[in-house]
Amino acid sequence: MKLEKFIEYLKLSARQVTRKRMRVLLTALGIAIGVAAVVATVSLGEGIRFQAVEAIKDQSDLTLIEATADIRGGTIQLITPAKIDEITAIPHILASTAVIREAYATKRQTYLGVMGIDPTGIGDVIKPRYLRGGQIEPGSRQTVLGHDVAETLQRYEGVRLGDTVPILIREYDENGLPVDEEVDFTLVGVLQERDDQFDQLMLIDQGVAQELRGGDASFDGVLVRADDPDNVFTVVDGIKDLGLTATGAFQQIESVNRLMDVVVLLLAFFSGVALIVGALMIMNTMITSIFERTREIGITMAIGASPGDVVQLILYECLFIGLIGGVLGDLFGIVCAWAINVFGKPFIVAQLGDTFSTFAEGDITLITPEILVLGIVISIVLSLLSGFYPALKAARLNPVTAIRTGV
Amino acid sequence: MAIVMETQGLTKAYNEQVIALDDVNIALEKGEFVTLLGRSGSGKSTLLNILGGLDCPTSGEVVINGRRVDFDDRDALITLRREALGFIFQNFNLIPTQTAQENVGYPLVFNFQKKAVREERALALLELVGLARRADHYPRELSGGEQQRVAIARALVGNPAIVLADEPTGNLDSKTSDEIFDLMRTVNRERETTFLVVTHERELGKRADRSIELLDGRVVTA
Repeated sequence: MKLEKFIEYLKLSARQVTRKRMRVLLTALGIAIGVAAVVATVSLGEGIRFQAVEAIKDQSDLTLIEATADIRGGTIQLITPAKIDEITAIPHILASTAVIREAYATKRQTYLGVMGIDPTGIGDVIKPRYLRGGQIEPGSRQTVLGHDVAETLQRYEGVRLGDTVPILIREYDENGLPVDEEVDFTLVGVLQERDDQFDQLMLIDQGVAQELRGGDASFDGVLVRADDPDNVFTVVDGIKDLGLTATGAFQQIESVNRLMDVVVLLLAFFSGVALIVGALMIMNTMITSIFERTREIGITMAIGASPGDVVQLILYECLFIGLIGGVLGDLFGIVCAWAINVFGKPFIVAQLGDTFSTFAEGDITLITPEILVLGIVISIVLSLLSGFYPALKAARLNPVTAIRTGV
Repeated sequence: MAIVMETQGLTKAYNEQVIALDDVNIALEKGEFVTLLGRSGSGKSTLLNILGGLDCPTSGEVVINGRRVDFDDRDALITLRREALGFIFQNFNLIPTQTAQENVGYPLVFNFQKKAVREERALALLELVGLARRADHYPRELSGGEQQRVAIARALVGNPAIVLADEPTGNLDSKTSDEIFDLMRTVNRERETTFLVVTHERELGKRADRSIELLDGRVVTA
């Protein structure tokens, strides 16, 4: 019965809406322009976000993630063997290996980020490709240098493949005085350029690294290889759930997302100002319409409609206007997004330069079903809000005076 | 005969000077056809509005079907209008966007009647007022007399105990006026619906079961 009544009222309201088609259309256009502006700007924002994320996926090693110790709720979550097992158990992990992080300096004060690795376990995780030489012999004092750091050492210290890399490890004695220990590593390999942290790293055997730390058998992090770029954030969440910090190229996507969230919100906010105008138009139309129908509303109340019924009938009219406005707005928005793509893209690509050359191939606007649904929802909600005052005004009419004085 | 509507000491004062109704005591019996006479300003419209639950009295009581009307209870007043009362207005007051049949069935929308029921009842009543063949016409396509016939059918659709008519023939020529009055009398006899008809035409009063005349808010003849 409730539903039947609802449908009945909808029909009655629909009839009122179709009574003044031109006026309803013009009113709906007001809100439609606002919706179109929001749809177009949000789709531009989403398009740029999509392209930027795609560019990151193309250009970086997204599936490589490092889990490191973190302080959560006052306790330090260390990379213990148990933790390593837990990390390995996270779904969508192809391979993982525990690593040690150190910072050494050469005799000539070149500071080096050092990663202690398991030479046999690292293969599937970082997929090393060697520019020169090859991998470290497990347990030996050999080193593989990243592309950039190898170039630096060759240029400034003349270190080449097969040469010794002399490292000073500084420790402090019981009196607090620095004691430097010299350790020589043999350079056995240089990695190809990868455009990630390994370009700057010196890789050594993790056993050696632990020994140089004074036999401490702990780890600083676990390198993890996810099975697919689409599963990276699942793995990241898994790591975070263990109370650890996750780092990797995916953070670029996170920051792009954070930035674009703000950008899209601001764009939508400013373009949404047009929505306020649309809402005021609806309010104006409804007040006029109710004024014109004063007598009719009076009669309706005299023959048995409650004020609540009147409010409902008028709000349903607004619902229709909002729906029409939302649908029209979505259509206009799609047209605008298309226009931005065709006419605006050459300009934007020219402004951004080569870095964003991927933009040239794809669309810079992206209309998702969510955006379209959002457009319609905004339109309907605004229409209902604008209709509230006119509806209450109508419901407060005194039937007697409404019938006597109404137009 | 059972009394369907009764007032006790009904008074309506807008302020100390303007007293629209002054201690009105009337009673309508079931199936009666009563005209309410009086010059303009005599308080007949005010009385009708109060009886219809559209206005509230300053003091006094209205009893409909043996139950006192609580003018502070808006929901009860709405239910009263839906279930016990039918209205006929001077200028017909049909809804322009609805056909004759829909207009007649309109009050039942708020009575939560199904569409099929509404259509059936509306058509039967249009038959009663002799307009079945114009069921699909809109008010603007009907003459004044025909519109008022539709309005009479609409007033009857909820099977009210009393129909309150406010100058139902006021906007019609004398011939149509007669026809409409006759129609109301016929309905009154056939269906035993109580009618209270406000008019200032004394002639029509003679054709009623009885007349109540108001003068300056007081009942002169009852």
